[in-house]
Parts: sequence; structure tokens; C-alpha cells
Amino acid sequence: MIFKLALRNIVGNGWRSLINIFIIAAVLISLIWMEAMWYSWLVLARTEQKQWEFASGLLRSENYDPYDSFTWEKSYAPIPAEAVPHVASGDVVPILFAPGVIFPGGRQLSAMVKGIPAGQNVLKLPSSSLAGGERGPVPALIGTGMAKTTKLKAGDVFQLRLKDSAGAFRALELRVSEVMDCPVPSLDAGTVWVDLNALREARLLPDVATVLVLRDRSLQSISAPRYELITEKEFFADLNEMVMTKAVGQAFLFVLMIFLAMLAIYDTQALAIFKRRKEIGMLSALGMTKGQITRLFTLEGALYMLFACVVTLVMGFPLFWYFAVKGFSLPGDANFGMVGFDRPLLFVYPLPLILFTLVLMFILTAFVSWLPVRRIASLNVVESLKGGRNA
Amino acid sequence: MTITNMSKSFPSGEGDFLALNKIDLVFGKGEFAGIVGPSGSGKTTLLNVIGSLDTPSSGEVDVLGYKVSQLSQNQSSELRSRHLGFIFQTYNLLPVYNVYENVEFPLLLLKLSGPERDKMVRDALEWVGLTDKLKSRPAQLSGGQCQRVAIARAMVKKPALVLADEPTANLDTENSLHILETMKSINSSLGTSFIFATHDDKVIKYLRRVIRLVDGEVVSDDLQTGA
Repeated sequence: MIFKLALRNIVGNGWRSLINIFIIAAVLISLIWMEAMWYSWLVLARTEQKQWEFASGLLRSENYDPYDSFTWEKSYAPIPAEAVPHVASGDVVPILFAPGVIFPGGRQLSAMVKGIPAGQNVLKLPSSSLAGGERGPVPALIGTGMAKTTKLKAGDVFQLRLKDSAGAFRALELRVSEVMDCPVPSLDAGTVWVDLNALREARLLPDVATVLVLRDRSLQSISAPRYELITEKEFFADLNEMVMTKAVGQAFLFVLMIFLAMLAIYDTQALAIFKRRKEIGMLSALGMTKGQITRLFTLEGALYMLFACVVTLVMGFPLFWYFAVKGFSLPGDANFGMVGFDRPLLFVYPLPLILFTLVLMFILTAFVSWLPVRRIASLNVVESLKGGRNA
Repeated sequence: MTITNMSKSFPSGEGDFLALNKIDLVFGKGEFAGIVGPSGSGKTTLLNVIGSLDTPSSGEVDVLGYKVSQLSQNQSSELRSRHLGFIFQTYNLLPVYNVYENVEFPLLLLKLSGPERDKMVRDALEWVGLTDKLKSRPAQLSGGQCQRVAIARAMVKKPALVLADEPTANLDTENSLHILETMKSINSSLGTSFIFATHDDKVIKYLRRVIRLVDGEVVSDDLQTGA
């Protein structure tokens, strides 16, 4: 009975109800959109970083500290004996890092030179373009970001200067073999990729590596005395930390939007109690208990939310579909140093998260509807019927 | 219904304002009675206490076996929903409901089945001659039609007692007489008791019993012949 009456009241309220429902639906659509964007980016970031950089684990030279550039020159260690056959079979990919200076178009820029086997297929990095170059310039692979910074393009030749293991400066002539579209900024920014053998030769460092990328998790058990194992949890620690930081900001926005929606509902309900006090008096005179009237008004608020969910699905579907198929691009070339932000982000909609949002909104709406309605219990029926101020 | 030594006072300024003073009245089944008197004499207050919308300050009011002063809020609601009908000067129809829904409302509270409700609503609207206005909203009706809807709403559950507070105050003579005829006919055919609070001579002419109230006291209680 209460449900039927609440429904009638909402329908009877006409455009006022519609405005309420559309406001809540707009908030819901925004919340789902925000959640989907954040979630999709996280999924993308993890997937891309695994495919391009991590695979199933890393063994990192104990001399290498990614946060201390003074260690980079000596950041290598011999390939562990136990890893050698796996390197030969291609299941372990050695990568050697070397700080250097490049001279593109007469300019001078610091760069991290990374040597990777041209024939590797563990990482998504298009290293096959590094093959060749025995005669003439060494093939080099750079990302689109690096190409933009250096104004280099495929086929361009430039100079690289680095130190060999004895501390002597060596110069190499490099030719851009390919400009790769890499979604992981850390593999692009300031980085020049060359064939591992070419780099080892230039540095006079045979059979060493800075990191060993593992194809399978089972390879994590390789005994590697001068290497430390970087697990997935450790590898993504920075990302997780950033997620936490961003999550705080997002949570603030999330709470703010919910607060605004709840404020609208509270205001509508509080105004309704004031404007409809004569009606409340009449309902009471007709025999409704105050509990029933309270439930009626609370249910009205909750039903607004229910209808808003339906409107969200109907109105939001084209939008959600568009971002799932066409993706979302940041304006301009901004990527904020974040994985995958330089390309359209195809949205994935996490059902549990969306359901959680809807249920949370539903509970909050019911609560916020109930807050002002509590006053009904203290209303004087006779004064209510008169529509008086003290009602 | 018995009212025994009942007084009602309201806080006013530093002291209390005595709205009703030691009222003693007895109403039988099928009454068509009116509480008449000038404005401020306590008519509406008496009606509100009888209808358990308000409680007496002292004394006892026994309505159909319910002792008004001892009722909890839920018991008051039950008395009103099952046994009492109200008609107000300003109709107090629910604006977002149409005529049918307004009349149906008291039956929803009684949790009657759909077909049962439908028959009773149509019967009630037949009594007041509004079967052609089922889908109209109160805003689309004249004052007289609104009051007839209010009568149908009060009568639809066939209550034992209908309390009508100045039911003709906002109506012209023709509509007033039509409504009074309707109520009188229901009173005769269904045996429903009607108690009016009024100072309208048109209403008073229809009453079989006239209780005069002045400054919260009953000054006369007379039967009218030929009403």
C-alpha cells in the first residue's frame, strides 16, 4: 500500500519528480563514468606494463638503483650461470642500461641507452627492428615521445656518446630504425633502444645485463647471486602508490558528487514536509499512522533513486557504449607520464564497483530521505490540517 | 458516543486558554447533529477531540468504545481509519491524486482487495453524483465537486460516524443544499451518524439536533422537528 501511494505521489508530482530523477541520474552517470575511466586505466596500465616491461618477473642487478642516476654507469652484473641456458632459449631476456648523451640535429641531450636482444619475443617491444646494422649506423628504436623531443624520425642518423667499462668515451652512429608507439612512458621518455650486442660491444661489457626479464613465473626460482628478484607486487608498488594518491582525490570528488545529490534529495524532502504538511495532516486524519507516513515519504525518496537508476541505464547507455568502443582521449598530447594516456582509453565497466555505487546511493538516498521526514512524528495533526507554521 | 465532563485548554501567553469547559454530551446511532456557535466558541476543537485528532485536557470522551484520552497514536489512527470519516471546510483532497484515487485512499488503509475497493469507490461516487469525474484532479473541479469528493471519501468505507467541519463554508447556496441533501440521504439510507461544526443557517435547518456552544460551554441541546 505504501509503495503504491509513494508511486502515485511521484507520478502525481510530475515535472518536479522528473527534475529530481534527472539530477540523481546525472550524478550516477558521472560517478559510473569516473569509476570506469579509473578502473579501465588501471587495467590498461597493468596489462601494458606487464606486456612491455615486466612479463612474469624481473631480476635486477643489485648495482642498479632506478632512483639514483649515479649508479647507472655501473648498473650491471654478469649473467648468472643458471640463467645462461634460458637466455639462449629466449625465455630470459637480458637488458643492459647505459647512460649516454645523444646529439640529434646538433643538439645535446642526455639519454638512457638500453640494449635488448633484437630477436626477443618475451616483451612487446618491437625489438626486431634493431637487427642488422653490422655495417653502417647501429639501428635504434625510440618512442613517439622521444621522437617528438628530439625531432628525430625513422631513418634519421644521430650520434651517441657513452663511456665504456674502462671509463673511456665511445661514440656510436645510430640510425632510427623505427619510431614505436609505446604506451609505457618510462620506456619512451629519454630512452634509446639498441641491440644488446651492439651496446655490450660499445661498453666493452660482454655477458652482462642490468635486468633479466622472465617469460614464466617458474623462472623466478633461478639462482641469481648478484641480482634481486622484483616481484609483481614490488614492480607495481609505484603504480599502487599512485593509485592510492589518486584514489584520495577521486574519493573526494566521489563524496562531493554524492553529497550534492543527497543535498538535492534532502532539500526536496525538507521542502516537501513544509509544503505538504496539510497533506500530512490529512493522511493522519484519514487514519495513516505516523510510522506509515514516515515510511511513505522515505520510500518516495528511495523510489526517486530507483527511477534514477533506470534513467541512468537508458540515458547513460549510449555514453557508456561510446567510451567502451571509441574510448576516451585526453585533450592534446597530454599523458601526465601515465601509462596508456597518450591513446584513446577504451572503457571497461566493473560490475561489482557499479553495483556497489548504486547500492550505496540507494541506501544513502533512503537515509537522506528519512532524515527530514523524522519531523513528521512530532507534527501536530490539527495544526498540520490548518497548514499552520507550528504544524 | 459519550462525552463526560470534558475540558480542553491550550497554552496561551502566561496561562492557559480554556477552549472547552466541562462538556457532557451523549450521541446515539444515526444522529444528524450540529455543534453551532460563533467563531471561537470551540466547535472545531470539540470535533477534533471527538475525531481523536486532539486529546482532552480532562474528562473522558468515549467514541465507539475507544477512550480518546487513553489512545496511543496507532490506536487513534485505527479509530479514524476504521470508524470515522472527516469532511473539512477546505476539502483537503490530495492534490496529486485524481477523484477515484482520493476516494479509494481510505480503503487502501483498510487493505481491501482491488475489486472490493473498486466497487466501493464507484458506489460512493454514485452517491455524490460524480461517476463522470473519476480521472479528474482536484484542481480541475469546482468547489462543490471537491466537497462532494470529500464526502465520498468520508463515506466510502461506510463509517459509523462522519465529522464535518464547516462543510458548506466555501460553497454557494445551490452547492450547499445539494451536499446537505446528499449527506442527509446517506444518513437515512446507511444509518451513518453525522456531527457538524457550523454556524451556517442553511446547515442548521437540516439538523435534527442542535447543540449550541458559547465560549466553550454547551448552552443548549435541542431537537429540531421538521428537519
